[in-house]
Amino acid sequence: MFIHGKGTFISLNAVNLSTFTDASELERNADKHDVTTYGKDDHVYQGGLGDGKASMSGTYDNGVAGPRATIEPLVGTVVTLIRRPEGTGSGKPQDSVSVLVEKYVETNPVAGMVAWSAELQPSDAVNSTPQA
Amino acid sequence: MNLADVMDAIGDRLDTIPDLRVHRHPPGKVTPPAAIVSFPESYDFDATYGRGMDTMVLPVVMVEGKPTDRSGRDRLAEYVNGSGARSFKAVLESGTYTAFDSIRVAGAEFDVVRIGNIDYMAALFTVEIAGQGSA
Repeated sequence: MFIHGKGTFISLNAVNLSTFTDASELERNADKHDVTTYGKDDHVYQGGLGDGKASMSGTYDNGVAGPRATIEPLVGTVVTLIRRPEGTGSGKPQDSVSVLVEKYVETNPVAGMVAWSAELQPSDAVNSTPQA
Repeated sequence: MNLADVMDAIGDRLDTIPDLRVHRHPPGKVTPPAAIVSFPESYDFDATYGRGMDTMVLPVVMVEGKPTDRSGRDRLAEYVNGSGARSFKAVLESGTYTAFDSIRVAGAEFDVVRIGNIDYMAALFTVEIAGQGSA
């Protein structure tokens, strides 16, 4: 079944930022080690440590639980990111991971709404247990 | 956002301009000088996740003077100018609203409209609105 993105839930440090967010990404990847030996005609690889990156962005809001008030003080700290790609509901997928808040950016286009974005570095394993 | 509340709020704000007839919806009859808050060109949902923000583009029409009337041109200019007591942009963007969060008068186009068999100059303002999706 295709899933629309509008119901996506995302929170940072237990603050629901969904209603200020219009795009988010959680990438998971792994190191690769080349273990090719003499006599092979093709590279041989082995997986290494897991890693990833995450980002979120949207429309600025000046409320006490808005992106500026929530994220800016967190820059440089490790907090919990929760992302529910199919929205909130029992049995639906959820990724929960500690993230280092690396960057918070505000962008002010002259002919548009003030926008914000954040870059997050996942730290340690992602817990992908579905929602209870 | 409630569309009717948004149109009323814009009409209420325009009504602070002296000597201007304001219609908060398309009327059956117009007597210039008049401002008409019309239905949105577009009403877009889900600008953010979780029904956070919706947006709409509202046309506001200002009808004033005959196309060949210099004094009509001068009066219409007062409404179209980017600043001044009668400036739609200045008046609308300086308002305080509860029906929506953000307003921007993005621009105006000009046309001749026929009302009661008489041609009038009209300015069609494009008003960008953003507000709460679920409230």
